Amino acid sequence: MAGLTDRNYFLMAVGLYGVSTLYSIFLLRKGFREDNRINYLLLLGAFGFHTFAMVKRGFNFQRCPINNLYEATLLIGWTIVVTYLVFGSFSRLRFLGAFASPILFAIGIFALMRGLDARGSQPVFTGGWSSLHKALILLAYGTFGLSSVAGLMYLRQEHDLKYRKLRAMLSLLPPIQRLEVVISHSLAAGFVLLTAGLGTSAVYLKKTRHVYFVGDAFVVYSILVWAIYGTLLLLHWRFAQRGRRFALGAIGSFAFVMLTFWGIYMISGIHNPIP
Amino acid sequence: MPLVVIGLSHHTSPVTVRERFAFAEARIPAALQLLRESGIVSEAVILSTCNRVEIYAATGLQPLKAFVELEGFLIKCADYRDPMTDEIYTLTEPHSMHHLFKVACGLDSMVLGETEILGQLKKAYELSLQHNHTSSILNKAFQKAFNVAKHIRTETAIQRGSVSVGSVAVELAEKIFSAVDNRQVMVIGAGDTSEKTARALLSRGARSIIVSNRSHERALALAAEMGGRAVQFDEWAGEFAKIDIVISSTAAPHYILDRAKLEPLMKLRKNRPLLLIDIAVPRDIEPEVNLLENVYLYNIDDLQAIAEDYLRQRKEEIARCEAIIVEKARALLEARGTIRVPGESRVILGT
Repeated sequence: MAGLTDRNYFLMAVGLYGVSTLYSIFLLRKGFREDNRINYLLLLGAFGFHTFAMVKRGFNFQRCPINNLYEATLLIGWTIVVTYLVFGSFSRLRFLGAFASPILFAIGIFALMRGLDARGSQPVFTGGWSSLHKALILLAYGTFGLSSVAGLMYLRQEHDLKYRKLRAMLSLLPPIQRLEVVISHSLAAGFVLLTAGLGTSAVYLKKTRHVYFVGDAFVVYSILVWAIYGTLLLLHWRFAQRGRRFALGAIGSFAFVMLTFWGIYMISGIHNPIP
Repeated sequence: MPLVVIGLSHHTSPVTVRERFAFAEARIPAALQLLRESGIVSEAVILSTCNRVEIYAATGLQPLKAFVELEGFLIKCADYRDPMTDEIYTLTEPHSMHHLFKVACGLDSMVLGETEILGQLKKAYELSLQHNHTSSILNKAFQKAFNVAKHIRTETAIQRGSVSVGSVAVELAEKIFSAVDNRQVMVIGAGDTSEKTARALLSRGARSIIVSNRSHERALALAAEMGGRAVQFDEWAGEFAKIDIVISSTAAPHYILDRAKLEPLMKLRKNRPLLLIDIAVPRDIEPEVNLLENVYLYNIDDLQAIAEDYLRQRKEEIARCEAIIVEKARALLEARGTIRVPGESRVILGT
């Protein structure tokens, strides 16, 4: 074990997320009739490797490991798994892991892409405002991830209730109205964090480049994401868009982020400068 | 000193016999006193419910002799003079212990897995305890029975789900709404099942009931009975913006609510979830309304199917429960050091 790198430890964590995802498919088919301790333990083990990978990286590079896209993605995943482990300590909420593990696995696979950690120890972000900016943005994406987990749960339970499946009654999933509230609140929290994150980026730009806005691909992309989530919340609060459509909106928006974040980041001149 | 059980239940006797053997609660302490003074038993608990009358006792007599005496006691208390065949059953250890645990878990109940019996058993035990008619044998056996019931409730699905239409409707509401309390319920057509379903929702805290019926007098009467209010039959749709759950059971020969009528009403409701329970035959609500978003429609067959599925699932859990019970009873008897060779311990006494 001594010769293993932080990436190796993270790889082990992703492996456990993968096993947990497979086990979750089994649980989905069974319909969440019992709290799934096995899944909780799998994710707890993955959390151990995940944390160790981050800590090892921090000690190796003698800095807080939130300096490039790989590390940022690790932090998003870590936020989600920690949140799940806290909720999952209550047996009635332990089934949440079945919805969190596919997202964690996807985030893990995404993080392991070579391009994300191409320059290894070389920090991409520096400075106090920059740190606050990235922490807020990453927390926002972690929260949007949680809203999509709640959205998946909503769609599953709504489908079973619509089609009168007995598993809707037997499952430990919360009532769909409560799930809708969870989606709404997590989206709102994520939106506030993203707004604050974008605000701090303006301050940071003013301090370093004497401008509030730069027409960088990733800045424009972040504003687009902000607008998407803002529209979703506006439709929900102002125009009574609820239920299935709202859940699909939360899942679709996060899927869009997951599919585009990396690509846009790579072409961003200020976030990923060519050395 | 072994635990023995003698009694009659819904398995062995009809209600016409059970009701004659039943003990009124006020009579039980005196009956227990009499039983102990007779010297047949040293400890006893009498359980008398609508589905069973049983004596759980610790006796120093040979079981067969004790059963003859106990049956005589039951017949004397009931003043029962008709001929009996196999209504009364008797059990010795370990089957008596298994039986006690099964009763506590609802495995011996008419509605498999029901929980009311546990409360009744606790009450019977506490009554006996208060009057000092129990000691170490029954105290340990009953405490263990209550523990086993709790264990089985949490570890198996024997008590999961509802097996009546009314309680399935309540459970559905709990799967849709954050909380059933504060929900507004509308009853369209004041039939017996709709009334029972509405009462089940009220018992879980539903805020209020609006009743609409072709006979407005009947609607007024039911609304008054349930603390709700009545609306004219042709005005019920006007209340839709406020309500969350509709129970419909009119005798109308056609649909009284269809998709075209509900669609604009959902906009008025700002797309809040709506649970429609159609227990009318012929049906009151067009099935296509279920295609609308945030609308959940269940008819009587759907509710019945869920109740039957639950019952089937409960039956599938019996073997698991019995294995737990045998294991727990064995542990208790081993701890007491009185484990016996299991043999034919169920004796049918007839007169």
